Amino acid sequence: MATETTTVTDIADAAERQRRLELKELLNKKYKWVDWKWDLVFWTTAVFVVAGAADITKQLFAGDWDFWTDWKDPQWWPVVTAFATIIIPSTLQYIQWTAWRFPTGATYTACCLFFAAWVGRYFQWDLAATYPMNFVWPASVVCAGILMDWTLMKTKSFILTSLIGAHVWAIAVWAYNYVPLAAFLQPAHFMDHVVTVADVQGIAYIRSQTPEYLRLIERGALRSFLGETQYVSLAFAGTAAFAGYWIGQFIGRYLAVWPIRRYLKTM
Amino acid sequence: MAKRFVIGSERVNVSSILYLLKDTFTLFGMLFVLAVVVANTPSAFAHGEAADEPFLKNMTTAFFNVSVSPTEIEVGEPVKVTGSVKILETWPHTLETPEIASIMPVVPGPVFVLKERFVNGTAAIGSFFAQKGGIYEFEMELVGKEPGDWHVHPGIAVYGTGTLIGPGEWVTVKPSAEPFSFPLTLLSGETIELSTYGGAFAWWWSFAGFVLGVAWILYWTTNKRTVTNLAVTVQLPVNDDAPDIGLITPRDHMWMNVIVGVTLVMLVVGWTYATSNAPVRWPQQTDWFTPEFISSGEKMAEAQASGATYDEASETLEMKVQVTNVVESDIELKQLTIAMATFVNGPEAEQAKAGPRDFVGRLEVQPDGPIAPGETKELTLTVSSQIFGAERLIPTQAPQQFIGAVLRFENGNDGHELVTVRSNVVPTQFRSTYLP
Ligand SMILES: [Cu+2]
Repeated sequence: MATETTTVTDIADAAERQRRLELKELLNKKYKWVDWKWDLVFWTTAVFVVAGAADITKQLFAGDWDFWTDWKDPQWWPVVTAFATIIIPSTLQYIQWTAWRFPTGATYTACCLFFAAWVGRYFQWDLAATYPMNFVWPASVVCAGILMDWTLMKTKSFILTSLIGAHVWAIAVWAYNYVPLAAFLQPAHFMDHVVTVADVQGIAYIRSQTPEYLRLIERGALRSFLGETQYVSLAFAGTAAFAGYWIGQFIGRYLAVWPIRRYLKTM
Repeated sequence: MAKRFVIGSERVNVSSILYLLKDTFTLFGMLFVLAVVVANTPSAFAHGEAADEPFLKNMTTAFFNVSVSPTEIEVGEPVKVTGSVKILETWPHTLETPEIASIMPVVPGPVFVLKERFVNGTAAIGSFFAQKGGIYEFEMELVGKEPGDWHVHPGIAVYGTGTLIGPGEWVTVKPSAEPFSFPLTLLSGETIELSTYGGAFAWWWSFAGFVLGVAWILYWTTNKRTVTNLAVTVQLPVNDDAPDIGLITPRDHMWMNVIVGVTLVMLVVGWTYATSNAPVRWPQQTDWFTPEFISSGEKMAEAQASGATYDEASETLEMKVQVTNVVESDIELKQLTIAMATFVNGPEAEQAKAGPRDFVGRLEVQPDGPIAPGETKELTLTVSSQIFGAERLIPTQAPQQFIGAVLRFENGNDGHELVTVRSNVVPTQFRSTYLP
């Protein structure tokens, strides 16, 4: 009996080994027309689609926080930015990992977004509307993208990536952009007040239709957590990013990939 | 055929739109409708505020004594914007009650920078608490940043309502030999140039991260082919990275660890640099305050409007007001302010002093002259002005056919009182319209 079972398992193992050897061969098969040139066209074309999707999503949920230094506060900015910017990277992670086992979706989206955001800020905001770049520079999520793709590569699981990677994302987005922001948080003398450099930019560079009271920033409240708003905010940012990650997965699974599969089946 | 194109509750899908476009007859029909709509749309106004409904302007606020000067400067030179705005007692109940407001210049973007701002004598960096009946005297100093001809208005943004604007004046900013500069002194004593401070660092720092990201992407996209990978991944479970097959190899892991390592080192180095470069960092500051009270002036008149008519063709407003003098001296009605426009019962010289010329007109009072102590008179106020049409100040077919206005009474010894009145308005003629 025992020997018979072993034999069956052995046969199954051998078949699986054989299948994987065939897959290895398939992986290295050379196609005549579909080589690196196809990939070049594909990756380049996708830049604009992905950049557009990521930029629109960011502007929809975190617009003003990303536009102005005087909105980049300790309380709201880390939360809304982490949530808004993780959605499309998560979608692309799903697509690129399932289709090609590339742990590149978040980084790819982040680089596309970097490109779109800086082009937009420079041409529309700086050149056309004359807001100086040091007031309207966009936050970058490339560092966070690298760390989240790395998390997916190590865990090989969307669930684990959403649990660990989303918190990594929230902290990395904040920490990476706090580096250029730090200089703008220095106190300065202006209008008989001591305010931050970012506040001076917000007051001096006139925004007629964005009055100061509209700023959703930390203004001090009973819920001040002994003044440690920043850390409470980052913990919540991780939770918000977790939610954003699964919205992104939903977009990837049901809005992006499923219709393509359906279309391919009909062909 | 045209029935197919239904917007609203019915579904419009791609095929039905294509079907529709194939139908050239319908296409021409649509173009015709578009042409009719365009032809019937009133031409664009010079100022965005003209698009606002009249009640949003005349029932909410009144701007008076506005001055913008000088009107010709070079880049780097100052322009003063001063004046007063009253949040009217007639504030429409259909808007949120005013509680928080902010006064700012209304200009086409940051072509000026705002250097000073006082509201009722207090330096105002942001917003303040406001209320119905409140008078807010403002003083702002702008400095020319971009050369050009700019229309400069004061404006008051009210929470829940938006920005309501006052009268505007053209200011010419000429180029200067000196480039624009904005020195700012930090609490540390260091003086920075605000126009550029920290901008280059923000760019190069973000760009460095971008380079790492591009390295990450190029590693995968140049070494591996999408089509051959797809043929394999569709036959494997999603959690299988298949190092034996070659999808993700130990070598891939090694290089990705290197990039992650570099990223983390960069983050630590950048953080250390930034926080030692700016050791003192504050949260963004808020200062909302209650401005000192400014009185409407000593009580001298009781005034009530008993109706108004508006003739759209000649842009003439006629309002009847019952006025009782309640003080011991003669009083006279000198000004009528509706939203951003002021009408003066007096000669050209007095009109020129009342505000930016495009927003000032003549007020005719019948019977004119002083009102004696204790006397009650019915005055007929007549104003003919193109401001009414250009700024759309008077409602002609609105759900609330009312206007709010501020009357300024003076008594010969420098005393004055501002009295707010509210009147319904009846147009003298009705135009038939074919579109709503
Ligand atoms: Cu204007």
